[in-house]
Amino acid sequence: MRSDQRKELETVTRLRAGDRIAFNILFNRHTPSMIRVANTIVSSRAVAEDITQDTWLAVLKSIDGFEGRSSLAGWIFTILINKARTRARRDGRTVSFDEGGEDNNLDAAFDGHGRWKDKPELWDEITPERIVAGRNLAAHMSAAINELPPAQRAVIVLRVQEGLDPKEVCAALEITDSNLRVLLHRARLSLRDRIRTLTS
Amino acid sequence: MMSCKEVADRASAVIDGELSGWEMVQMRLHLAMCRGCRHFLGQIRAVDQLASSVTELPPEALREEALSKLRADKK
Ligand SMILES: [Zn+2]
Repeated sequence: MRSDQRKELETVTRLRAGDRIAFNILFNRHTPSMIRVANTIVSSRAVAEDITQDTWLAVLKSIDGFEGRSSLAGWIFTILINKARTRARRDGRTVSFDEGGEDNNLDAAFDGHGRWKDKPELWDEITPERIVAGRNLAAHMSAAINELPPAQRAVIVLRVQEGLDPKEVCAALEITDSNLRVLLHRARLSLRDRIRTLTS
Repeated sequence: MMSCKEVADRASAVIDGELSGWEMVQMRLHLAMCRGCRHFLGQIRAVDQLASSVTELPPEALREEALSKLRADKK
């Protein structure tokens, strides 16, 4: 068993015993991402917060039934996404992550031989703490993620911020593996563009 | 020989460890010779690092409401 799995099992055991500290740690770690992901499915931030609260309630109530077949975070986000989907359907919204999102390809950056027209620069001073235009880069990144198309936003949060396994992300969002790859790549390219514009 | 564009298109695959052995060999050859592509890969890694460094505080009211609903349900 890996050390993170052991730690997770310990968290589950503590949650089952009603340990408030274990809940707080988990709540603090995942709630902002949960609101973000729910917000890619439902109509407003307020509804996304409702869904997130409902999800925590469901997690605490059904933690005894958690079997460890997925990671704890994977299980929590699956509950969240299912709840958000149900709510969206009830509100008459169609939900699909099965699209590439708006195109952001790099074609214009290359000449006819596939060589860089302008070679990318070394980002040796790009750190989360660096202040640009009045805010640190972590805050700029947060804003940039919020502006991504919904499907790209969901995969960045789940895969990069939450570190979920690709299989868990595909299952939760009901997308294929190749779709996940395309979405993730496009999201990274958009975010790179944003940081480049800010810092050059 | 892989072109810069082909390297850039595979940047996510490299980071996520999804390249086949042969593609990885070609990628390494290209990167050994091409500073632009090394920088580009570094930029994409920096994007992931920045995205992971985003920390936000959860709305406090949400925690309290969830816990009080749980208590109410248990009664
Ligand atoms: Zn190159």
